[in-house]
Amino acid sequence: MIVPTSDVRFDVISPADLPGARAEIAALLAASDLDVDGSIETFVVGRSAGRIVACAGLDHNVVKCVAVSQEWRGESLSLRLATEVVRLAASRGQFHLFLYCPPHNRRFFKGWRFYPIVEVPDVVVLMENSPVAIRQYCDALAATRRPGRTIGGIVLNANPFTLGHRYLVERAAAACDWLHVFVVKEDASMFSYADRFSLVAEGVSHVDRLTLHAGSDYIISRATFPGYFLKDRGVVDKSWAAIDLLVFREYMGPALGITHRYVGTEPLDPATYAYNAAMKIWLEQTPSPAPPIVVVEVPRTMVDGAPISASTVRDLLARGDFTGIGKLVPATTLHFLETEAVQHESH
Amino acid sequence: MLFVPGDNAGALSTAFIYKPDSIMFDLEDAVAPSEKDAARLLVFQALRLPEYRDIERVVRINGLHTQFGMHDLEAAVAGGADVVRLPKTETADEIRALDAHVEWIEQDCGRPVGDTKLMAAVESAEGVVNAVLIATASPRMVAIAIAGFDYLVDMQTKRSGGAEPELFYARAAVLHAARAAHIDAFDVVYGDVDDDEGFLREVAIARQLGFNGKSLIHPRQIELLHHAYAPTGDELAYARRVLAAADEAHRHGLGVVALDGKMIDPPVIAQAQMVLQRAEAA
Amino acid sequence: MKVIKEAIAGTLESSDLMVKVAPGTTGKRDIVVHSEVIKQFGAQIRRVVADALDKLAVTEGSIVVEDKGALDCVIRARVQTAVLRGAAIADFPRNALS
Repeated sequence: MIVPTSDVRFDVISPADLPGARAEIAALLAASDLDVDGSIETFVVGRSAGRIVACAGLDHNVVKCVAVSQEWRGESLSLRLATEVVRLAASRGQFHLFLYCPPHNRRFFKGWRFYPIVEVPDVVVLMENSPVAIRQYCDALAATRRPGRTIGGIVLNANPFTLGHRYLVERAAAACDWLHVFVVKEDASMFSYADRFSLVAEGVSHVDRLTLHAGSDYIISRATFPGYFLKDRGVVDKSWAAIDLLVFREYMGPALGITHRYVGTEPLDPATYAYNAAMKIWLEQTPSPAPPIVVVEVPRTMVDGAPISASTVRDLLARGDFTGIGKLVPATTLHFLETEAVQHESH
Repeated sequence: MLFVPGDNAGALSTAFIYKPDSIMFDLEDAVAPSEKDAARLLVFQALRLPEYRDIERVVRINGLHTQFGMHDLEAAVAGGADVVRLPKTETADEIRALDAHVEWIEQDCGRPVGDTKLMAAVESAEGVVNAVLIATASPRMVAIAIAGFDYLVDMQTKRSGGAEPELFYARAAVLHAARAAHIDAFDVVYGDVDDDEGFLREVAIARQLGFNGKSLIHPRQIELLHHAYAPTGDELAYARRVLAAADEAHRHGLGVVALDGKMIDPPVIAQAQMVLQRAEAA
Repeated sequence: MKVIKEAIAGTLESSDLMVKVAPGTTGKRDIVVHSEVIKQFGAQIRRVVADALDKLAVTEGSIVVEDKGALDCVIRARVQTAVLRGAAIADFPRNALS
């Protein structure tokens, strides 16, 4: 059918209009056994005679909650929906998109030209809308590969970089032939990625045999680990950590030859505690074509009887207690906080 | 005239399969503002497809007062469209301005001046009352169409189905303008593609009034229209006899044609020729 | 013409294609094509894409094509649209399009 009697009209539902349409969208999703994800701000919907028969949600660069009503199943409507979502994302400057789908639904997305990255068996598949993006990312990483039997990896948010982070990096570097440090790119923390990255760079400049890597969409991002960004609400889902960790194991690991992943013990924050536990499962224990990566938990350094934590530093900053901060961070971080981090809304 | 939305790659790639008499690539109402640039390029490229060579290619541009119109016109003329259709035409000046722009583009892109024809769609009361002036505003004008939906909105009413008095004046005005200007007249779009009976009723009216064609939005309407305009067996037989009589008179050098004891005037002969043409088209 | 920002054009529907362009980072032109008929038509698709880019004088950048069985004229149109959008050009540069 080539002619334009398209009975379905597509519209974008903005956050303001969402409450009105929410019930209808929820009903459509429920018919496909899906819940409405609370983080979705915008939906694309297709309406026929005023009724919503197709929907897809967009959360920054992640497509979620996709459903087409039973009687409209069949490629053409689904592909129009795909086009509208991609166009919506592009209008917001998002061209590299990710999508989660239950493995049994993979066929639905065949024409969407999303390509699988990792799968948590029988639970969820993470896909991206490029046939080459992750491969190009790994090729770029592999160009920085160093020889050695023990190659370490650390992923830091460093919000901001503390003596605790420095200690972890020093301990790991001492134990490895080479150490690769990644900084989380997602700008969802009190300090911007640019600031966090430069504080990390300054804070580890004295460490030999270390490569500092820019963050990406592939490490603790909205795409690979959305649950991380909900941790204030105490919502932590083990399977979300799985995606992030499997990406690390199956892509970053082999690209750089990483054998060990270093992480600080986490006595305070339940979300990070759970993430560390998940690490052992997905990096070490789960059978996988990629070699296991040994998880090494390094006990946190203590100051005044308490483990050093970035959240403590943020609290002290809010109170203007630079003396207290000075015990917990290197001079470079202290300097930054005193001179530049004058006003920060707490996140 | 089969409407095809200019931003639909699948439609543009295959519409010729339905063998319409004329195809209208639409850059205007069928295309969202964010895709106007994309549609323009699709149409520009599709115009050159060899499969469209034997079909009259019309491009409906956006009005020249919009941010899109002039670029659309350039794409249409340089792309080789046979006819440019101006939507929402209200005055003869608009056609004259369009003519001047078309001439400039023809000269600029090396197309023979005068090659591109024009058609006007009237979609408002003002357009209807200016129909004759519009139809005669340029030697490039080859057709005038009445676009029902926007016109009825302007008239503060809507379609009633059946005899539809609300369209009577507009249809009559456009027809008279077309005949006075010796150009074609196109009737309104029939929007309900599942209602064959309604479509055929409307076509019968249009045909009886003398419309040369109709704007179509679905390929299945093409065949229905052709059949509706096809002459009946009787009409065809009579037309053949008229032409045979004319032929015979011509061969004997007679100035007058007679059939069944009656004189056959030239208009009757012309009509017989048209009947044969319609039969061939069906 | 220089692609200065990311842009897309086209659709994922049958007989169409979706083209994504991005500014170059390597000084070279990098064309990636994915199509279900890559074996039969891959080379031709690449040729049509490269030809359209040449006429637009695009010498660097990343171009990713997701083909759904489009005719050459559609490929040309979508590549041209994506490039014009990526180069932030609002005109109709007729001579670079044929």
